[in-house]
Amino acid sequence: MGFGKAAQIAREGLAGESQEMFRLREKLRNTLERELDEIYINGDLEKRLPGNLNMSFAYVEGESLLMGINDVAVSSGSACTSASLEPSYVLKALGVGEDLAHTSIRFGIGRFNTEDEVDYVAARVIDVVRRLRELSPLYEMAKEGIDLKSVSWATNT
Amino acid sequence: MAYSDKVIDHYNNPRNVGALSKEDPNVGTGLVGAPECGDVMKLQIRVNEESGLIEDAKFKTFGCGSAIASSSLATEWVKGKTLAQALEIKNTDIVKELSLPPVKIHCSVLAEDAIKAAITDWKKKHDQKD
Repeated sequence: MGFGKAAQIAREGLAGESQEMFRLREKLRNTLERELDEIYINGDLEKRLPGNLNMSFAYVEGESLLMGINDVAVSSGSACTSASLEPSYVLKALGVGEDLAHTSIRFGIGRFNTEDEVDYVAARVIDVVRRLRELSPLYEMAKEGIDLKSVSWATNT
Repeated sequence: MAYSDKVIDHYNNPRNVGALSKEDPNVGTGLVGAPECGDVMKLQIRVNEESGLIEDAKFKTFGCGSAIASSSLATEWVKGKTLAQALEIKNTDIVKELSLPPVKIHCSVLAEDAIKAAITDWKKKHDQKD
């Protein structure tokens, strides 16, 4: 009975809800892209769940970004928060470099999210990314014109 | 991940953020970590020529909250110390002060490395000058 009802709700609402989630996700993406430079979408924009957005914010480590928006439930593409310090193997499989994989955040928009919530999240992310970039030696070096790939980093394995 | 109050405080109010001029002969710069590892710290010290004391310290860090807190704390601790005293700061002191969990111990190691790298850079500059 329950599953039948669920299937009925899905059948009736799926198309409209997908459209709404897509609209909110695009609003989030467009707002972030308008306000912040050097941010990158991970994965395909067409072949993607309507409510999903995974982005890398160059020069800002993902876990520190999570910490700054701790009233928002998102996840870091990097598994820094778990026992492993490896970045997401899914992102690596998508061809995202390890440096950018450490800067990724996965946003999920669901059927109960509102436009106000999306606006709030966008504003918070923009604010925290700007703050953390002021704190980032990588951002400073990039702005000085240093090619980060050419730096011989002291690799601490 | 539960952060200690001290880590949260350093994250929200990082001490001594900024940069000192690398051209200044009395400034030593340490840059440790790697973007691929998810942590890069830049720690700088300015040593007073007469007193031999570290009179200023600045940092910038790309990394998690614990990495930011470890380097922020490191700049606080080196200020007013001699180079020899600063070299005595151990990562375990940072772990203790910030109550870092085992998965974040590498952040404290990196902060200790950053202090040492800044001092090494300062010494290198001064050997060249003499």
